[in-house]
Amino acid sequence: MKKNLYRLLSAVFLMALPAAALADTSVDSATIFRFSQDSRPGFQKKDFTPATQFLGADFEKLGDGNLSLHLYGWGRYDLADKSYNNDRADGALTYAYAQYRTDQANGLIRFGRFFINEGIVNEHVDGLNVRSDLPLGFGISAFGGATVHTVHMPGEITDGKGDGLVGGRLHYRYKGMLELGVSGVYESDAPALNQASNQQLAASGRFGSHRLLGGDVWLNPHRMVEIMGHSSYNAETEGVAEHSYLLNVKPLKDLVLTGEFNEYRDRDLFFSSIFFAGLLDNLNDRSRTMGGRASYELNRMVEISGDFKHFTREIGKADRFGGDIRFALLDKALRTGVGYHYLRASRNFAVAPSASGSFHEARAYAMHDTKSYFAAVDAIGYFFKENINNKSSAWEVTGSLGCRLTPALALSGDVSYGKNPQFVDDMKGLIRLTYNMNYTGKGGTK
Amino acid sequence: MVQIALLAAMVPLAACSWMFSPETSLPGRHPFDLGEGRALCGECHEGRIKGVGKPFASFSHSPEFVRNHRLRAARDEQVCVLCHHGSFCNDCHAGKTEIKPSVKLGNRPDRELIHRGDYVSLHMIDGKSDPTSCYRCHGRANNEKCAACHRGGGRR
Ligand code: HEC
Ligand code: HEC
Ligand code: HEC
Ligand code: HEC
Ligand code: HEC
Repeated sequence: MKKNLYRLLSAVFLMALPAAALADTSVDSATIFRFSQDSRPGFQKKDFTPATQFLGADFEKLGDGNLSLHLYGWGRYDLADKSYNNDRADGALTYAYAQYRTDQANGLIRFGRFFINEGIVNEHVDGLNVRSDLPLGFGISAFGGATVHTVHMPGEITDGKGDGLVGGRLHYRYKGMLELGVSGVYESDAPALNQASNQQLAASGRFGSHRLLGGDVWLNPHRMVEIMGHSSYNAETEGVAEHSYLLNVKPLKDLVLTGEFNEYRDRDLFFSSIFFAGLLDNLNDRSRTMGGRASYELNRMVEISGDFKHFTREIGKADRFGGDIRFALLDKALRTGVGYHYLRASRNFAVAPSASGSFHEARAYAMHDTKSYFAAVDAIGYFFKENINNKSSAWEVTGSLGCRLTPALALSGDVSYGKNPQFVDDMKGLIRLTYNMNYTGKGGTK
Repeated sequence: MVQIALLAAMVPLAACSWMFSPETSLPGRHPFDLGEGRALCGECHEGRIKGVGKPFASFSHSPEFVRNHRLRAARDEQVCVLCHHGSFCNDCHAGKTEIKPSVKLGNRPDRELIHRGDYVSLHMIDGKSDPTSCYRCHGRANNEKCAACHRGGGRR
């Protein structure tokens, strides 16, 4: 399985080489070495030094200029103790697809591995996607293929997804005032499960196949007002899974006022995830969030925002409120910000055996970025109303320093130190080498 | 049943290539890279994006836009791809990944990255107050790490 993945990865990247000579090419690569130690009392001391390589490449303007190729994936190798799972090496091909765009109608054909975000549909597919605008304000997008499987759930030889899926979205737009969409996804039957507890989930109607249908709306009735949202329906449980709506009002150019409303039936929403269906024992079914936000952009240099959200669940209630101020100075070269939030949560959201789930969150950061070097400091602290594991807070300070070796190549190092309820103290380091290059096939770089 | 009917209606629709809209497509990429920091479309654009119908201002990266980008991405991804390669989204969204976005991008404290600081402690509270937000990324993918503590299904 893994071997095949690496073969596929290298084959794909090899195929891409000749394309690179002809196309507008951009490559983005990040090589990350992390250093940390697990020295909790009572556990064997372990050193972790995983090296991870992220590599992405985009070859544009191939063929008649409308063809492009897009690749992205990562691989990790543990230089010391095993860091993440039982594999010393691991990786994934996140996406790899060829795409053809038409000159008219925003037409598009994609083939390969890609993500789909259409209305209520969010999927990772090995297959085909076709989209186009049609006359009279209509438009369509359809996809089909094999699901991209991820790691197996504990005790199972499946991730819980069916093997194939089809779906799409149909939309209608009216004069820049209104857009309506219907979307749906139909996945083949969910696999049978091994674990008794998981079989119980399926038998009690809490886990099953992934089949959703939904509608979405965007409304712009007045220059200052925008409404958007969607509702989804689970065709297997025959219940509404989600309502999610947002109202934006912009009374001044740089002032945005937002109100949002979400309602979820967790059984219908979590139905095709073994992991989340199993959480319902602890969480119950119905939840609702309501919130508001105001943000103001002052002369491009200062941004002020305040936000509030109320969470209602069957097991309890919570409110989160606070604000952030951000500064972008010296033509964005110096960026800083501070933020404070408080989550006031009822007892049932607490981490057992603590009596309260409430906590304060405070953050401050600054970064400076020039042509030759960049530096950043970031401090975040969570202060619990009641101790968690006998700790009253979890905080972390991170410092980062880097230099640009060439305009495309940068080397940076981060060190972070913190204390939290999980570890006695936590010191981590990281070295990062990034390469971001754009090359225009017609000659010259940009 | 309903889905099948919907799909059956879609296939012939897509096949009718003569039914394409005559409108010129959006360009593949924005004419230049905007660089780091807030992308405020209103600094350079007025009116509406042709073919998409929505005002440029509706895509201005205000704090609200960043928090609720899901509602835009689900409708107008052709606009997002003007400036974002998929890999940008995959820093936070992935079928399978191992590095927290705030660690991968530890040199970018100005980004609105999720899970800063000691998220293992905090997630136990956040996860109870709003599990649906977690479901979007960890529901059917990217949950290998969770299994270390959440054994059978989501139970512990
Ligand atoms: C610093 C100035 C600047 C900013 C900020 C900016 N743009 Fe642009 N954009 C341009 C220029 C210049 C063009 C090319 C001329 C044109 O087509 O308007 C362009 C072109 C476009 C086009 C293609 C228009 C067409 O019909 O061919 C789209 C769409 C677009 N921009 C969207 C956006 C969005 C969305 C944002 C905010 C997220 C944004 N731009 C921010 C300067 C900017
Ligand atoms: C005209 C260019 C442009 C367009 C179009 C655009 N973005 Fe962005 N976006 C940017 C830039 C520039 C940044 C800042 C990147 C940085 O700071 O490194 C950004 C940042 C973001 C971020 C991260 C913010 C943060 O602080 O971490 C998200 C999420 C995002 N965009 C989503 C979208 C989505 C979804 C769309 C389409 C609906 C979209 N963008 C369209 C230019 C654009
Ligand atoms: C800085 C991290 C970050 C980046 C970068 C980012 N997202 Fe997101 N995205 C999130 C978060 C957080 C959520 C969940 C928000 C919520 O709970 O409402 C989300 C939710 C979504 C969803 C909804 C998923 C679902 O299953 O309901 C879509 C679609 C989406 N993002 C698309 C994109 C696209 C497209 C891009 C790139 C242009 C992008 N995102 C970049 C953090 C990010
Ligand atoms: C935009 C996508 C996204 C959303 C939304 C999201 N996560 Fe994550 N989460 C990630 C990514 C990416 C990682 C890093 C991958 C990993 O550690 O396996 C991660 C890591 C984690 C970790 C491990 C952290 C660590 O330090 O090792 C926990 C715990 C977690 N998420 C819980 C949650 C909970 C609880 C929620 C909801 C409140 C949530 N996540 C929402 C993307 C997301
Ligand atoms: C270090 C162990 C650990 C890891 C790793 C972990 N969790 Fe948890 N999680 C817990 C514990 C313990 C609780 C419950 C705390 C309590 O109720 O006192 C919890 C609670 C939750 C909850 C709240 C619902 C409930 O059952 O109380 C969600 C949602 C959740 N975790 C999601 C995740 C996700 C998603 C990941 C992976 C990205 C993850 N967890 C990784 C230990 C972990």
